[in-house]
Amino acid sequence: MFKIEILTKKGFKNPRSEHVLSDICGIGVKDVTKVEYSPLYIIDGGISSVEAETIACELLSDRITENYIVYLMQSGTERYCKVVSKSATEGDFVSVPSSDPNFSVIEVWYKKGVTDTVSESLVKAVKDLGIVKEIKVNTGHKYCLYGGVSRTILNIIATKLLANTLIQECKIR
Amino acid sequence: MKKVKVLILRTAGTNCDWETQSAFELCGAAVERVHINTLIEKKDKIFEYDILAFPGGFSYGDDIASGKILSNEIKSKLGDKVRKYALDGKPIIGICNGFQVLVKMGLLPDVKLFKQVSTLSYNDSNKFECRWVYLKTEKKIGNESCCIWAKNLPDVISLPVAHGEGKFIPNNEKLLDNLNKNNQIVFRYSSKEGNEPEYPLAPNGSAEQIAGICNIKGNILGLMPHPERYIFGLQHPAKKSFNGKYGWGKVIFQNAVDFVGR
Repeated sequence: MFKIEILTKKGFKNPRSEHVLSDICGIGVKDVTKVEYSPLYIIDGGISSVEAETIACELLSDRITENYIVYLMQSGTERYCKVVSKSATEGDFVSVPSSDPNFSVIEVWYKKGVTDTVSESLVKAVKDLGIVKEIKVNTGHKYCLYGGVSRTILNIIATKLLANTLIQECKIR
Repeated sequence: MKKVKVLILRTAGTNCDWETQSAFELCGAAVERVHINTLIEKKDKIFEYDILAFPGGFSYGDDIASGKILSNEIKSKLGDKVRKYALDGKPIIGICNGFQVLVKMGLLPDVKLFKQVSTLSYNDSNKFECRWVYLKTEKKIGNESCCIWAKNLPDVISLPVAHGEGKFIPNNEKLLDNLNKNNQIVFRYSSKEGNEPEYPLAPNGSAEQIAGICNIKGNILGLMPHPERYIFGLQHPAKKSFNGKYGWGKVIFQNAVDFVGR
C-alpha cells in the first residue's frame, strides 16, 4: 500500500493554501500564519513501487508546478515505512518536527462507505497507463498549519472549514 | 464540392460539443461528435476527418486536474495517431478543457516533442472565472497571425471565458521566449484598448497574459476563451457583431474550414 503526497513546487502559487488561510482568518483565528495544502492518495492493490512512482509522476502530479513523494505504508496501519521515491526537493518538504507546538497537520478523508468519485476516475486512469492490477484508491487532503493553535481551535478549523463531517473525517496531528 | 469533415472528440464530462458542432456546421462543415471509446476501437477513423476539435467541458469531472485524465487516456491509447494527424498539418483546436488536454498531452506547444512542457493551473483567484474578456490578437507576420485559426480578426476581440484552471505556466523562461520568438502566442488577455489588463479582465494570472497558443506551423490552436459561444452577435452582452449578424468566434471556425477547403 502506498501513500502519495503532491506538493506545490517552491516558487509556484498554491491558491488553495491562500484561500484556506483567508477562511481561517475569516472565522476569527489570527494565530495561523501560513497554510500549505497537499492532495493525498492511498493506493492499495499489490502495485510495485515503480508503478506507484509512475502513477505519481504521470498522473497525480503536474510536472511543471508540482512534486510528489511516494511512501510505502505498513498494511492496515497509518505508519509510513519509508519514502520510496520523490521528485520533491528539500525546499518542498515540511521539515518541521511534529512535536513543534507551532505546527499542526489536519488530514481530511472520506468516511468508509462514502462514494469517492475522484478515486473512481483514478482507477480508470491507472488502467489507461497500462497498470492492469485491480487497485483501490482513497483520496484525501492535507493541510499544514503554521502558528501556535490549541487543539480546540484546530478542531473548529477542521470541522467548520475543512471537512463536511457528515461524509468526511479529520485526523489532527 | 466535398464538405470539410470535422471530428469533435467527446467523453464523460464534455459539455461544449453541441455548440462547437453548430459553429462548424454554420461554417459549412459536416460534423460528427465521436466518443473516445469509439475512436479507440477504430483508431484510424481519425484520418477520415479534416479537422479535429477538443471541446470544452469538465472531462472526467476535472478529477486530479482539469484535462489530466483525458490527456493521459489519449496519449496512452491514441497518441501515435493524434501526433501523426497533427504532424500532417491538419487543423486541430482545443477549447478551454480541450486546451488543457492539448497542453497536458504535450501536443502544444511542440507536437514534435510531444511532451508536457507547460501547464494550465489554478486561477490566481482560486475561483471559477466566468465573464466576457478582451483578447489582443497577435499579428507578427504581414499584419496577420501565423495561426491558421486566427486570420481575418481585428486587433482586439471579445470572447467569454469560463474556467477554474486557466493560468498558463511555461516550464521556464526559455520556453516563453521561444513562444514569443516563434509567434506562437495567438491571443493575450487585454483591456478594451488592447493594453495590459487588470483583474477581472486578466482572469487567471497567466504568464504574459497568454490566453491562446499555437504550434510553430500554426495548424494547432489551444485557447481558454470559448469562440463557439460567440457565433452570433445576439450572444454578445451588447449584441455586437461584425457585419450585423455574426460574432468573432465564427471567424475562427470559418478560417479552419476555409483552410481545408481552399
